[in-house]
Amino acid sequence: MNDFIRYTIAGLTLGSMYALIALGYTLVYGVLQLINFAHSEVFMTGAFGSYIVVDTLVGGHGRQNGFMVVVVLGVGLITGALSGAGAAWLLERVAYRPLRRRGAPKLAFLISAIGASFFMSQLAGKLFNRQKNNSFPNFFDNRVLFSIGEADVRLLQVIIIVAAVVLMFFLDRLVQKTKLGRSIRAVAEDAPTAALMGINIDKTISRTFVIGGALGGAAGFLFALFSSLSYQMGFFPGTKAFAAAVLGGIGNPRGAMLGGLTLGLVENWSVMFLPSQWTNVIAFAVLVLVLMFRPSGILGERLGRAA
Amino acid sequence: MNPALAFLRSDSGKRLGACLGLGVALALMTGATGRQDDYLYAIKEDLFTFHLIENLLIGVVVWLLFTFWPVIRRYLTRPGALGLLAGAMTVIVAQTVLGWYEPEDAKFSGLATLVGDTNGISALSSAFFGWLAWAQLIAVIVVGAAALVLRNRALFWVGAAMAVAAAIIASQAHKKVDELAGVVDHATGVTVAVWGYLTIAVALAIAAISTDDVARTREFVNAVLGWRPGFALGAAATALALYSLGVSSWFAPKSLNATLADVHSLFKGTSLAPIAVQYFIWLSWALVIVAGALVLVAAYFRSIILGIVGAAAAAVGLVITMISIHAITSLAANSENTYATKGPWQNLGDGAWWTCASFLALAAAGLVVAQSALKGRSATAADAAHDPSAGPRFLYAPGATLAVLGAAAAAAIFIPPTLEPSWQTALVTSIGIYMFLAIGLNVVVGWAGLLDLGFIAFYAIGAYTTAYLVGSLPVKPPFELPVLWAIPFAIAVCLIAGVILGFPTLRLRGDYLAIVTLGFGEIVRLVAVNSNGITNGPRGTEDQVPHPVINLGFVKFTFGLDQLPYWYLLLAVMVIVIIFFRRLENSRTGRAWAAIREDEVAAQAAGINPVKYKLLAFAIGASTSGIAGVLFATNVGFFNPDNFKFEFSILVLAYVVFGGMGSLPGAIAGAAVLTWLPEFLRDQVPSEDRQMYIGAVLVIMMIFRPAGLIPAKRRATELRGHGPDSAESQAVPAGGGLGGSYA
Amino acid sequence: MTSFAKAGTDSAPGAQPAAGVAFDVQDVTLRFGGVTSLNHVSLQMRRGEILAVIGPNGAGKTSLFNSLTGVYAPQEGRITLQAREGDEPVSVIGMKVHKVNHLGVARTFQNIRLFPALTAIENVKIGIETRQKSGPVSAMLGLPWQRREEHASTKRALELLSFVGLAHRANDIAGSLAYGEQRRLEIARAMGTNPSVLLLDEPAAGTNPVEKRELADLIKRINVEDGVSVLLIEHDMKLVMSIADRLVVLNFGQKIAEGTPEQIQRDPAVIAAYLGTTDEDAAKAELEAQPELRRIELLTDEERERENEGETL
Repeated sequence: MNDFIRYTIAGLTLGSMYALIALGYTLVYGVLQLINFAHSEVFMTGAFGSYIVVDTLVGGHGRQNGFMVVVVLGVGLITGALSGAGAAWLLERVAYRPLRRRGAPKLAFLISAIGASFFMSQLAGKLFNRQKNNSFPNFFDNRVLFSIGEADVRLLQVIIIVAAVVLMFFLDRLVQKTKLGRSIRAVAEDAPTAALMGINIDKTISRTFVIGGALGGAAGFLFALFSSLSYQMGFFPGTKAFAAAVLGGIGNPRGAMLGGLTLGLVENWSVMFLPSQWTNVIAFAVLVLVLMFRPSGILGERLGRAA
Repeated sequence: MNPALAFLRSDSGKRLGACLGLGVALALMTGATGRQDDYLYAIKEDLFTFHLIENLLIGVVVWLLFTFWPVIRRYLTRPGALGLLAGAMTVIVAQTVLGWYEPEDAKFSGLATLVGDTNGISALSSAFFGWLAWAQLIAVIVVGAAALVLRNRALFWVGAAMAVAAAIIASQAHKKVDELAGVVDHATGVTVAVWGYLTIAVALAIAAISTDDVARTREFVNAVLGWRPGFALGAAATALALYSLGVSSWFAPKSLNATLADVHSLFKGTSLAPIAVQYFIWLSWALVIVAGALVLVAAYFRSIILGIVGAAAAAVGLVITMISIHAITSLAANSENTYATKGPWQNLGDGAWWTCASFLALAAAGLVVAQSALKGRSATAADAAHDPSAGPRFLYAPGATLAVLGAAAAAAIFIPPTLEPSWQTALVTSIGIYMFLAIGLNVVVGWAGLLDLGFIAFYAIGAYTTAYLVGSLPVKPPFELPVLWAIPFAIAVCLIAGVILGFPTLRLRGDYLAIVTLGFGEIVRLVAVNSNGITNGPRGTEDQVPHPVINLGFVKFTFGLDQLPYWYLLLAVMVIVIIFFRRLENSRTGRAWAAIREDEVAAQAAGINPVKYKLLAFAIGASTSGIAGVLFATNVGFFNPDNFKFEFSILVLAYVVFGGMGSLPGAIAGAAVLTWLPEFLRDQVPSEDRQMYIGAVLVIMMIFRPAGLIPAKRRATELRGHGPDSAESQAVPAGGGLGGSYA
Repeated sequence: MTSFAKAGTDSAPGAQPAAGVAFDVQDVTLRFGGVTSLNHVSLQMRRGEILAVIGPNGAGKTSLFNSLTGVYAPQEGRITLQAREGDEPVSVIGMKVHKVNHLGVARTFQNIRLFPALTAIENVKIGIETRQKSGPVSAMLGLPWQRREEHASTKRALELLSFVGLAHRANDIAGSLAYGEQRRLEIARAMGTNPSVLLLDEPAAGTNPVEKRELADLIKRINVEDGVSVLLIEHDMKLVMSIADRLVVLNFGQKIAEGTPEQIQRDPAVIAAYLGTTDEDAAKAELEAQPELRRIELLTDEERERENEGETL
C-alpha cells in the first residue's frame, strides 16, 4: 500500500510534466493536424534557457530559504516559458510557415520538423557541451514535506504538481474563455471558414505555437530541476508526451492532461510488478492497447469540442 | 511613421531580419564548442567576437541577393550565366572543402602550406599554390561576368580559353607535386576543380555561339541530350575511356602509379596471357575507338543495326578489359617482386575501372540508339506530353531511361573499386543498407500512404533472426544455417511481424498509426535490450555472425573483411528487389495502393478491400527491411540494440520523403544523398555536428522542394494545382490537412 | 470518424424479397445523433429497371445510397440485396463496402471521387481488377497468368472508355479531365466492376445540356445493352422523366410518393415538397399554371454541393 502511494505520487509528478509537454503537441495538432515533431526540442530549449538565467542570477549561492525557492521557481518558470515560447515561435516561422505557404504535403511538414529537431538538439549540444548529466545546482533542499502513510512527499514533487496544475488551469481558461482561445478553436474546427470570419490564421497558428512552447519550456525547467539537463533530454519525455497526447485524444487539451497523467501513473505503477527496465515497453503497450479499443483516444479528438 | 521603422515593417525589412537571423544561426553553427564549466562560453565566443560580423555579412549578402533577385535573375537567364555560376561554385568548393593531397589528408590550404615549405618544387606549382589558384579563378569569373553583362562574343571566347588554361594549370600544378612526392594520390580536389573550370569553359563557349533556340544552358543541355538519343552518353563514355587509356593510373600497388603504357613495360617478359599483352599495347585503344565510333555513327544515323553492333563491340571490349586487368593482378599476386598485390582485382588504378565503366556505358549507349530508333524516331511525342514541372525534358526523350540506367549501372559497378576503403565501408554499411531500407519504406509510406515511424523494428527483427539462425545468440537454433539461408526465414518472420503489427492498427488513422508504429519500434528495441537470455541484451550478439559464403558448386566465394564484395551482393539483391517493385507498382496491387491512398472511400466503392492491401504493404515493406537486416548482420558480424534506435526509423522516413514520396528512384536517390552527406561532412565539420547540418538540409529542402528530389509521377499532380488544402489531405490520406474534415 | 455504430444485423431470417427485386428496402431508419436522415423508408428496386430517387436537398437521397452500399448502417429496418437472378438474397446492413461491391453493386459519387493523380485508364482498370485473382507475387515475378489478366484488364478498360466516349483521353491524368468527362469516367470505373446494379448519384450535376443528352443516352445504353439495373439520384427533372421507368420521391427522410413519371408529375405532395409549401392546393394551382413540371430548382449546383457536403460522408 505504501508502495502504491509512493508510486502514485511519483506517477503524478511525472505525469503532470508529460501533460504539460503533451499540451504543446495537442494544441499544434488541433490547429494544423500535424505532429510537431520538434516540440521535444522546444522543451529542451526551455530547460537550457531557464538554467542559464537562473544559474547567472542565483547560481553559486548556497542560501536555501523559502524566499530563494520562490525566486528560483518564479524566475525559472518564466524564463523557461519565454525560451520555450521563443523557440516555438521561431520553429513555426522557419520550419512550418514557408511550407504552409507552398501547400506542401503533410509528410513534408513532418520531415521539416524532424530536421528542425535534429538541428535544435545538435546546436544545443554544440553550444552547451554534449555532457549527458548536467544538473541544476542545488538551489534548495528537496526535503520531505509530509508523509502519507509511510510514503514521503517531497518538496520538488509538490512544486511540480502544483505548478503544472496551475499552468494547465490557466491554459484551460485561455482556450475556453478568451478571444484567442476562441480563434484557436475556430481554426481547429475549420480553418477556411475561420478565415472567412475574419480570424487571422497565421497569427492564430503562431500564437498557438507560442502557448504550447511556453508550457513545454516551463515543463523543461521543472524536468531539469527534477532530473538533469542535456541536449538530448527532449527525446524520451517528448516521445512519451506525444504518446500521452494521442492517448488522451490528440487535438483535445483535456485529453492531453488526462493522457499525460495516465501515462505517468501507468509507468510508475508498472514498476510494482515488473523490473523498471520494462517501464517503457509497458507505456507503449498501454498506448497500443488503448488505441485498439478507442481509436480516437480516451476523450476523443477535436479541440473545438474540448468542453 | 518613422522611416526606419517603416522599413523594418516592410517585407524587405522582415527579410533583412530573417537574413540577419540566418547570419546569427550560421555564427552559432560554425562557432566555438561549449564547455561544461561555463555555459555561456560558446555563446560569448560566437556572438561577441568578429565571428558574428563575418556571418552577419553572409546574411546581408543573402538579403541583397533576394532583394535584387529580379535584376540578378535577368542576368542569370542569359546564356552561359548558370554554367559560369555552377562552375565557379564547384571550383570554390573544391578549393575550400575537398581533399587535395591524400597522404597528408590535406585540403587545398593544407597542401599550399606544404608546397610553400618544400624546396625544389616547380615554379608553376609554387605559383599555383601560392597565389595563382585564386587569382585565376577570380580572373575567369571577372572576364566571364563582363562578357555576360556586355554580351560581347569575343570576350566570351576569351573567358572560355582562360578557363581551359586554368584547368590545365591546376591539373599540371597538382601533378608536379604528386610527381615530386612520388605517391599515390586519390584526392578528388583537383579533379573537381578541373571539372569546374571545364564547366565554365563550356558554358561560356555556349554563350558565345548561342542562338535564339538555345538561349540558356539548360536548353542547350536539353538540345544536346535530345539531339540524337545515345549520342551524348556515347561521346562522354568514349572521352572518359580515351582519357583513362592515355593518362590515368592502371596499376597502383605501393607507391606506383602505372599508366597503361607503364603496365606494358612493367609486365614485359612475364608470363602474361597473350591477349592481355596485346591489350596493353594496342588492343585497348582499338576497342575503344571502334566501339565508340560505331556507337556515335549509329547515333548520328539513328541506325538500329549499327547501334547493336556498337553495343556488342563495347561488350567485347568490357570483357577483354576485365580479362586483362584480372590477368595482371593475378600475375602480380603470385609474383614475389616489390609490386606484389594482395590478390586478383586488387591494387588496380582508377583508369582500369573507368575504362570498364566506359565500355559498359558505351554498350548502354548503343542499346539506347537501337531502342530509340525502334520507337519510331519521334522525340516530338515526348515533347508534347512534357510537363515542365516534372523535371528536365531530356529525361522524357526516348531511350532516356535506358541511358540513365546504363550510366547508373556503369557507376554502381565500376566506381566503388576506385574508392578509398573508408568510403567503401560507408558505401556498404550506411549508403547501401539504407537505400535498401528506403526502398522498403517507400512501399509503406509512398505507395500505400501509411505513416510508419517504427520501420527499423523489422530491420532489427531481420538481423536478430539471422543471428539466431546462425547460432550467434544465447538461444541456439535446432540446427545452424549458412548465413545467406537466413534470408527466406527473415522474410517470413518479418512478413508475420508486419501482419501482427498491422492487423490491429490499420484501422487507425494516419497520426495514430504513426505513434503506434513508433511504439512498436521502441518495444522491439527494448525487448532486445532487456531479454538478456535471448538476445544477450545491450551487449549484442554473443558470437560473430559469420560472413557469407557463396557456393554454387563450380564457384565458391568467401566474403571477408573487404567491403567491396558486400557491395556487389547488396547491389545484386537490390536490383532484384527494384525490378520486383517496379513490376508491382504497375500491377493491380500497385494501382490498388494508389487508389486507397488517393481516396479510400472511392477505392472501397470500387471493390478494393483496404485492410487487405494495407496489410500487404506492411508485410512487403517489412520483409524488404528484413532482407536488409540479414545483409547488415552478416556484414558487421557483431551488432547490438543501439543499431536499431528510433532515430534510424526517422532517418529512413526522411530519406524517402527527401527523395520523393512514392517514387522508387526518388527513395534510392534520397537515401543515397542523405547517407552520403554525413560521410562527406566527416572531413568538413566536427563529426558530432554533422546531424545539425543534416537537419538544416532537411528543413531547407522541404521549404524549397517539398515534393522531393525526384517526385513521383502519380503524386506530382497531387502537389500541384489543388491548393494547400487538398494537397495536404492527400499526403497521408487517412489523415486530414489544414482544416480537413474527418467527419 | 463518425461515431454511429454499425448495427450487427446480419441477414435477417425470412427476408425473402419478391421475385425480380434487386434491392428490397424495408422500413429503414437512419439517424445521426439527433437527426433522422431516413425515416421508415421502404422501396423496392426491380431488376432491369431505371429507378430514380428524387427529392429536395437534404431529403436523404445520398443517405439512402450510402445505406444501400454499406457505408452507413441504418439502425432499423432491412435492406436485402439480390443483384442477380439466382443469387442468394443477403442483407447489406453492416456489410463492408467492398463486399457490397463484390455482390454486384457499383456506384458513383455526387462530388466526383476519382483517383485524380492516376490516368483515366488506370482509374477504370482499378475497377476491373478488383475481380481479378493474381496477387503481388505473380506480379513481381511477371508470371504468365498475371500478364494475361493485365492484358485483359487493359483491353476491357479501353472498351469501357470508348463506351463512355473517353477513349481518346485514356492516358490523361484523371484530375485534368473536364467536369463532364470526369463524371463519365466515374461511370466507366463503376462499370468496370461488372455490376448488376449501378447507383448514380447526380450524374448530370454541373454538365451542360449537350452533355446531359449524351448522359441520358449512356444510361439508357447501360440499362438496355448491358442489362444493368440503374438507381439514379438526379435533380434535372427533364433527364429523370425522360429515362426513368419509375420514381421514388423522398422528403425529409420520408418517402412521399412512388410511381411512373406521369404519376409523379401530377402528385400534389411532390409538388408541395419541391415548392417548399405544405399547402397542397396552392401547389396544385401552381401545377396547373405550369403543366409541364420541369426542373424546379432554386439553388445553383455549387450551393447544393456545399449543402450536401455533410451528407455525402
